[in-house]
Amino acid sequence: MHKLGRGHRDKVQQFMAITGSSEKAAVQALKASDWHLEGAFDIFYSQPHIRTVTDSRHLEELYNRYKDPYVDMILVDGITLLCNDLQVDPQDIVMLVVSWHMKAATMCEFSRQEFIGGLQYLGIDTIEKFRDKLSYMRSELKDEQKFREIYNFAFGWAKEKGQKSLALDTAIGMWQLLFAERHWPLVDHWCQFLQVRHNKAISRDTWSQLLEFAKTVDLQLSNYDEEGAWPYLIDEFVEYLTENGIVQRPQN
Amino acid sequence: MSAQKKRNFKIEAFKHRVELDPNYAERTWRVLEHAIHEIYNHNASGLSFEELYRNAYNMVLHKYGEKLYSGLVNTMTGHLKEIARSIEAAQGGFFLEELNVKWGDHNKALQMIRDILMYMDRTFVPSNHKTPVHELGLNLWRDNIIHSSKIQTRLLDMLLDLIHRERTGEVINRGLMRNITKMLMDLGSSVYQEDFEKPFLGVSASFYSVESQQLIECCDCGEYLRKAERRLNEEIERVSHYLDVKSEVKITSVVEGEMIANHMQRLVHMENSGLVSMLVDDKYEDLSRMYNLFRRVPDGLSTIKDVMTSHLRETGKQLVSDPEKLKDPVDFVQHLLDEKDKYDKIIRKAFNNDKTFQNALNSSFEYFINLNNRSPEFISLYVDDKLRKGLKGVSEEDVEVVLDKVMMLFRYLQEKDVFEKYYKQHLAKRLLSGKSVSDDTERSMIVKLKTECGYQFTSKLEGMFTDMKTSIDTMQGFYSSQYSEIGDGPTLAVQVLTTGSWPTQPSAPCNLPAEILVICEKFRTFYLGTHTGRRLTWQTNMGTADIKATFGKGQKHELNVSTYQMCILMLYNSTDQLTYREIEQATEIPPSDLKRCLQSLACVKGKNVLRKEPMSKDIAEDDAFYFNDKFMSKFFKVKIGTVAAQKESEPEKQETRQRVEEDRKPQIEAAIVRIMKSRRVLDHNTIVTEVTSQLQSRFLPNPVIIKKRIESLIEREFLERDKADRKLYRYLA
Repeated sequence: MHKLGRGHRDKVQQFMAITGSSEKAAVQALKASDWHLEGAFDIFYSQPHIRTVTDSRHLEELYNRYKDPYVDMILVDGITLLCNDLQVDPQDIVMLVVSWHMKAATMCEFSRQEFIGGLQYLGIDTIEKFRDKLSYMRSELKDEQKFREIYNFAFGWAKEKGQKSLALDTAIGMWQLLFAERHWPLVDHWCQFLQVRHNKAISRDTWSQLLEFAKTVDLQLSNYDEEGAWPYLIDEFVEYLTENGIVQRPQN
Repeated sequence: MSAQKKRNFKIEAFKHRVELDPNYAERTWRVLEHAIHEIYNHNASGLSFEELYRNAYNMVLHKYGEKLYSGLVNTMTGHLKEIARSIEAAQGGFFLEELNVKWGDHNKALQMIRDILMYMDRTFVPSNHKTPVHELGLNLWRDNIIHSSKIQTRLLDMLLDLIHRERTGEVINRGLMRNITKMLMDLGSSVYQEDFEKPFLGVSASFYSVESQQLIECCDCGEYLRKAERRLNEEIERVSHYLDVKSEVKITSVVEGEMIANHMQRLVHMENSGLVSMLVDDKYEDLSRMYNLFRRVPDGLSTIKDVMTSHLRETGKQLVSDPEKLKDPVDFVQHLLDEKDKYDKIIRKAFNNDKTFQNALNSSFEYFINLNNRSPEFISLYVDDKLRKGLKGVSEEDVEVVLDKVMMLFRYLQEKDVFEKYYKQHLAKRLLSGKSVSDDTERSMIVKLKTECGYQFTSKLEGMFTDMKTSIDTMQGFYSSQYSEIGDGPTLAVQVLTTGSWPTQPSAPCNLPAEILVICEKFRTFYLGTHTGRRLTWQTNMGTADIKATFGKGQKHELNVSTYQMCILMLYNSTDQLTYREIEQATEIPPSDLKRCLQSLACVKGKNVLRKEPMSKDIAEDDAFYFNDKFMSKFFKVKIGTVAAQKESEPEKQETRQRVEEDRKPQIEAAIVRIMKSRRVLDHNTIVTEVTSQLQSRFLPNPVIIKKRIESLIEREFLERDKADRKLYRYLA
């Protein structure tokens, strides 16, 4: 906020007061409207994820419906029930997006704070509203920036509590899921390579750098730079692809 | 005296011009002209210098300088033309002589004429910008004689012909040559250069081109170089005798160009006589000659150096990859040392200790020594061999020399940390088996390593020596404390080793015989009494024992065996026969060690204190071992099984290498952290370069390993990738 000029700051505050939005949303809307308040209101209200006021009582009810009888958390059974209610497969990637919104710490469980806080942010207080929001959440995966955030979030979420790295099987499963949304043709080779040559857990750095790799390096690997400070696993993957003739790298 | 009447003397110029008789000038000139003729006709003695001078003086004074001067020119020219004709008429060899004589005459005449005309030379000539008399005389000579069409070519041809003859072995009149060339020089450097030197150089170039072609076809390299050197010296001598000294560098460069530069490659690569065979056969004289000749031409020395380098690398590579040579490590290293000595000698004796050659030698050695990754191990084994027995009887200075030479090889190693590991192992074996030839030499070697690599390298090694010394003191203390209690029991000598300093050996304890256990316990109590808080573990895989044994016919022997072997043999105090399994059970010695011990006790001729059934070399579970009553040896003391440091077997080698690799990881990480701490943000390639340069005194880190270490540090949150540029890393405080 302190990066904005005085006039802008005032507008942001006004905007927030009127719409009840977050600072981030306010700045976003104002920037998009070139700092005209009226235009900003239009933009804001025409956006789907408008923050409506949620009924905290409903939220409590919802939470209690799914919460585990012995622990103050929603665990596997609760989630299964939730998915049922939403008419969604628990393996559906939209649940990952949901978890991301909730800033869930670990997969297959939600804390009270995570669940209620997340739904509040999304402006959901009933199952119907939740169901309606699902298609929107699916569409978020198409957004480059959000996909990256969700992808990177997935690492911390999918790994075991207290572990630094992600178990290989889980990682492969996540990659299959994620790269079904954002197509990367080499994903199967990657997973195969890992199973054959690496067979160990995946570090966070490797995880996040893989997305960069998938985004920047073309399928012929013609713009792959050996000096590019890629994690060594990725270097080995490139070797693997060339050795096995899967990719013919143009000789320079 | 009366005052003298003052007279007013005034000296005044003539108020009227003294008119000279217009014929006076002509008449005066005729006198002078006549004199010149006489001078040229060798009739000068009849002339009066004073009169002639006065005449010349008067002419100039009365403004007839121009007439005098032009008269001089004409007269001289006339004479010179005549002289030219007489020279032209000279036949054959007399041509040069005639020229020489006439030149001498002309100079003398010129001198006289100049003297006579001195006044004109000093006054009229400068103020009228005329050429002074002497110079005039030279120019006229040049124009009328040297550049006369009938003389010019003939003169040059004669000179060149004479030189050619001299080159082909004839003797010529050098004095005459000198005079002629001096004449040309006197006439002006451009005359010398244009009328002689340039053509001379051109002809010489063709001459040497032809000669070098002929020689290169029929001579071998050494011969050719000798001949080239001779020609070069000839030309230098020629110049000193009858050419202008400035010609020396020009003619030598012609010879160098034609004879050496143009054939450099062919000479160097000549089969059976070129550089390579000279190196192989230590032909110092030929090599020295080649060096001295080639250094005169551009790229000469670098050609020699390059061929030497590639030859050295090739032979070195063969040496380190030849399995025959690798069988005996000590031999292998000796070959390396010999090769180094050979080339040091060549560089010293033939290549003038040239530093660039020394550097080429060093880089070649560094190249091929590191081609074989067992070099560090082998060098350590060589030192082990020398420190163990090789240097007995050799003087101290010689010892130093050998060790210094080994240090030279050590410097070439890229993986010095591997050497350190082996050196430690070998040193431990030497110390513990008491096989080191001399404490001083051991120490001397450590000092050399310390000078080369720093304190860190040798601190543990020094710890080993300290332990040995301390153990002696400990033993003394032990025995004085046990004074009355020992009696007939076995005598113990313990070396207490500090764990960090000695090479780690995983040791599985075996079952010691009861007789030994007693005294061992006594020692343990004694030691821990004075050193509380320490833990002692018996290293049964490293000890030795002396046992007295009595055999079937009563023959007694003293056996020197390893601790393991002692445990095995002591079992035979209660029985004559045991199977492998029983021995294993009783002693709990690890199987691979047990098998080796049994093999040395039962399968080696002259040392078979046990008899094995079946007689095969391999040990099977059911094999039976009998006490060999019939054991015979000419020696009272029989040594069984203490093994000198050997080159490792494959699995051992793998293990050592693995340990080295493991040790390198923290070193690499420490270097990365150090660098990132001070630089804060760095890109990947710079980190790799910096790390490599920091560690190069110990080993050459693999960039892939460095990358892995960086990733490990990222995971442990020492570093992170920069959010904007993924190729940059940041230090996390």
